[in-house]
Formats: sequence, C-alpha cells, structure tokens
Amino acid sequence: MAECGEIGMMLGAFEDSELEPNEMQEVAFHLARCESCTSILADYSTIGRDLRSIAGEPSLTGFSNAVIARVDRLPQPVLARIERFLRRQLDSVGAGFAWGGAIAAAAVMTIILMTPYAEQFANRNAKPAASVATAVREDASASNQVANATADEPTMADNDSHADISRLESENHSVAVWSEPRRDTTVIWLPDQP
Amino acid sequence: MVERYQRRVVGVALAVVHNQDDAIELAQETFVRAYENLSKFESRSSFSTWLYRIAANLAIDFWRREGRHVVLHGEDAETEISKLPTATGDSFKEVSRSELSARLKQALEELTPEHRAVILLREVEGMSYDEISDVLQCPRGTVMSRLHYARTHLRNILKDVGGD
Repeated sequence: MAECGEIGMMLGAFEDSELEPNEMQEVAFHLARCESCTSILADYSTIGRDLRSIAGEPSLTGFSNAVIARVDRLPQPVLARIERFLRRQLDSVGAGFAWGGAIAAAAVMTIILMTPYAEQFANRNAKPAASVATAVREDASASNQVANATADEPTMADNDSHADISRLESENHSVAVWSEPRRDTTVIWLPDQP
Repeated sequence: MVERYQRRVVGVALAVVHNQDDAIELAQETFVRAYENLSKFESRSSFSTWLYRIAANLAIDFWRREGRHVVLHGEDAETEISKLPTATGDSFKEVSRSELSARLKQALEELTPEHRAVILLREVEGMSYDEISDVLQCPRGTVMSRLHYARTHLRNILKDVGGD
C-alpha cells in the first residue's frame, strides 16, 4: 500500500481527474483504506466549491465598446487611415456618391475603348477633303508641279480612277493630285505629252 | 470576438491580480494587444489560448510592477511546499461558511500570483492542466506542483481558522 505522503501529492490531480488511469486506480485503492487522505480530499473539494462561490462575476457592461474605443485611439498606418477616411466619406455621401463614381468610371472606360474606332472614322472622312484641297492647290501651281514631277504614272485599278482620269483629260488640266483612301496612295496625274 | 472571449479573459486576469477593476483594465489591454499583434499569431495553439496567455502575461507583469507582494518564482516557490506543515486528516467542516469565505479570500491574497492563478484557473475557470500549462507557459508538472502547494496552503490556513 502506497504511503500517505506519496498519495498526498496526487490527491489534487485525482480530484481533477488529471492522473493516468493506473495512478487513478492506485489513489482510489489508497483512499478506500485511509481516512486521513479521504478527509484531505474532501477539504480540497470544499476549497474548490468555496472558491467558485466567492468568485464574483465582474460587470462587463460596456466592456466591448471600451475595447473598440481603445483600438480606435491606436495610431493607424497611413494606408489604413486613407481607407477609413474614404469609407467614412462613402458612408456619409451615401449611394449617390457611389453611383456617381460608377458612372464616371463607366464613362472613362467607354472613352478608352471607343477612341481607336473614333480615330479611324475621323481619318476616313478627313482624307477626301484633304485630297480636294491639295488638288486645288496643286492645280493653281500646275506649271511648277509639271516641271518637277518625275514619278511614274500609277496603275489605275478601279473604275472611279478611270472616270477621274477621263474627266481630267476632257477638262484639259495640266496636273492633278488626289488620294486613294482605299489603297492609302497619293496619285499624281499628268496629261499625255504631245 | 471581444464578447465571445471577454468573460474568460477577465477571469484569467482576475486569477492573477485578484482585483476586479485591475482585471477589467488588463483584459481590455489584452484585446488591444491581440489586435496589434494579430499578424504574429501562429496556429500552433488555439486563438483562445493565445489570448489567455497574453492576459496572464499582462496580469503577472502588472502584479510584479505594482510590487504589492513579495513574489516567489520558479523553484523558490516550489520549495515552499516542503515548508508547509504536513496536512493531517483534521477537516475544517465545522467552520462557519461566512467565516470560511472571508478567510479564503484573505488566504488567496497570501498566495503568489503564480499559485493563485493556477488554482483559480483550475477551480473557477475550469481549465485542464494542459490548458493552464499553455496559458501560463510552464510545464504540466509545474502546474501540478503549484496546485498542490496552493491547495495545501489554503487548507492549512482554513484549518487554523477552525482550530481558533
């Protein structure tokens, strides 16, 4: 049979059911024959019960708000401060601000996506106008253009070009210049030399 | 999160400092520290254990800083067990309950914060020895010996009351 001193060290853990199974059995076996250790165990139990009874329940009213207030007073990183500022602004202005931002973003995206198409469209309209202007200008200084012109006569592939050439020949122009938008080519026309 | 853990965190702090106002103040500080150091939390222990450990450390530091009692550490505290009179079978059941409670409160004050924390975490908060070991960051054997010391100390004091 184990001595009381040895068992006494294990009584608390026995009360708490924190011993290994064989130790629990050993203590239980000892307690069945030892009134002194049984009395100590009863006192431990009483102490535990009294400790629980005198432990007042602290009032936690407002506890979480106090914690949040303390957290709010902490110095925040710059990015976190900006984020919080924007969030507050968004909250205060409300859904209108959010819709405004969304519309502005959509407008910017539309401009970005539509710009290439708009440029292409503008170029198509601008080329004929430019060619007419150039033709008039070139027509006014025909003699100089004739003297300097050395380029070969371009191939006229479509019917429009043939029609233009026929018209120029009949009107007795000395020189003409125009653009072929579809081919991205500038044509310099000179009449047949006699 | 605060509301989920507040009662137990206050309980841990209270187990060490044994003063409600101080315990609540320390518990609030515990949550602030946890918020500040959340990135340092590693999942080696549960979040609650990590939180209670912060509370216990803050409370023990507070107690030492306040210097209210002479605190015995480590082996010094454990060797105190041998100085205690050998517990006999004389029970203190005959002592009146009110007198017992008053004396128990006083006896708790006489314990070191480490010993008081261990017995209150066990008896009031219902923590297992392993949980106490995690929270107070000491071996399980130390938890057992501190509990034995605290119980023997409290029992002897209460038995003396019964003998007066």
